[in-house]
Amino acid sequence: MKPFKLKIVTPEKIFFDGEAEQITIRTTEGDIGILANHIKYVCNIVAGPLKIKDSRGEREAALSEGILKVSDEGATVLASAVEWADEIDLERAERAKKKAEDILSDKSRADEFGRAEIKLKRALARLSVGQRQR
Amino acid sequence: MATANIKDVKRRIKSVENTMQITKAMELVATSKLRSAKERAVASQPYFNTLYETMCEIQSDRGFKSIYTKKEFLKTVLVVVLAGDRGLAGGFNHNVLKLAEEKIKSLEKDGRTVKVFPIGKKAVEYFEKRKYEIYNKEYQISENLTMSRAISLSEKVISGFRNGIYDKVELVYTTFVSTLVQNAMSVTVLPIESNDLKDLDDTKDNSTSKDKVKKSALTLYEPSAEEVFDGLIPKYISGLLFCSIVDSYASEQAARRTAMESASDNASEMIDSLSLLYNRARQAQITQELNEIVAGQMGNN
Repeated sequence: MKPFKLKIVTPEKIFFDGEAEQITIRTTEGDIGILANHIKYVCNIVAGPLKIKDSRGEREAALSEGILKVSDEGATVLASAVEWADEIDLERAERAKKKAEDILSDKSRADEFGRAEIKLKRALARLSVGQRQR
Repeated sequence: MATANIKDVKRRIKSVENTMQITKAMELVATSKLRSAKERAVASQPYFNTLYETMCEIQSDRGFKSIYTKKEFLKTVLVVVLAGDRGLAGGFNHNVLKLAEEKIKSLEKDGRTVKVFPIGKKAVEYFEKRKYEIYNKEYQISENLTMSRAISLSEKVISGFRNGIYDKVELVYTTFVSTLVQNAMSVTVLPIESNDLKDLDDTKDNSTSKDKVKKSALTLYEPSAEEVFDGLIPKYISGLLFCSIVDSYASEQAARRTAMESASDNASEMIDSLSLLYNRARQAQITQELNEIVAGQMGNN
């Protein structure tokens, strides 16, 4: 398959900068796949799994929310955090999940729901990607 | 008298030496912290630049309205102040806090209500002591603030804005120009002014982003440009806050380094002049003792 340039950037580092043949990413509208020569495209991504396929095979990572931008030069993913499946700290994700669920089940903390929901989604994405790996 | 003087001078030299040891150590610590802070600042640049470019592209595509760009009569202003956790950094804390206070005073003169969101222990103490209305003081520690903390911080700032608790957000922080120069400055974070974006773009010597802006008319936004834009803003703000925090932290370390360097210099100068004094006193004592012996000898003869 024809490769295209892919760049994954977080505030702390450039996570991935190289070529890929296909990526699958979760957006607010559902999962989408990007191949080479995609039209120019911008969308919001939500926390979920990210699959990157290149000539060596397929790799999976857990992605936090961010944006995806496809231009003529290639695809750019901006996310607040990304980890490869084998780097995920499952215990930490489990703790984060529990904490977020506690907040969501407590009606007196309704003003924190929005943030807790995002955190829960992040934790779930990490757990599902991480557990599949093991 | 002479012996007491010698002891005093010796004690002073000792104490100055001790102080110098501390300032030297602080200088070294600040130098290494400054290096890592600079690295963090550089590492966060690509993320922020791409976000910024995308935002400019969408903005230049169509002049639409978003809740983050609204411009009504502004009544309440949130002033976010970034300062350090510790002193001994020259004029670092003083400069940024003074600027913030001036800003608040001028806003109050215009009839606005001001809430303060201090970040860093020094800022919290300063505004608490002066009885300003504090919006949130959870962020006492500005050192080593991680991205996730910056995100939750910006979420707090944004949710207050969305809920109409305040309708303008100003940020006062110190920007790192060089190891010797750090400037306190203030920027408007929210609402985002559409003119601002393009103006900023002009001042940034980034010719490539300009070219891209023209080509972006054919871009497909999903679900819509507005929603992508609204989703982008929180990330932009947390990116902006994160960058300013890293910037301010680097400035603090640089300021501390310079302050400690001159303190060490002063200490060694002081030791020099004190040792001169000490040697003189010692010499005077010896001369006097010799005189006494010689005089005694002469009396015997």
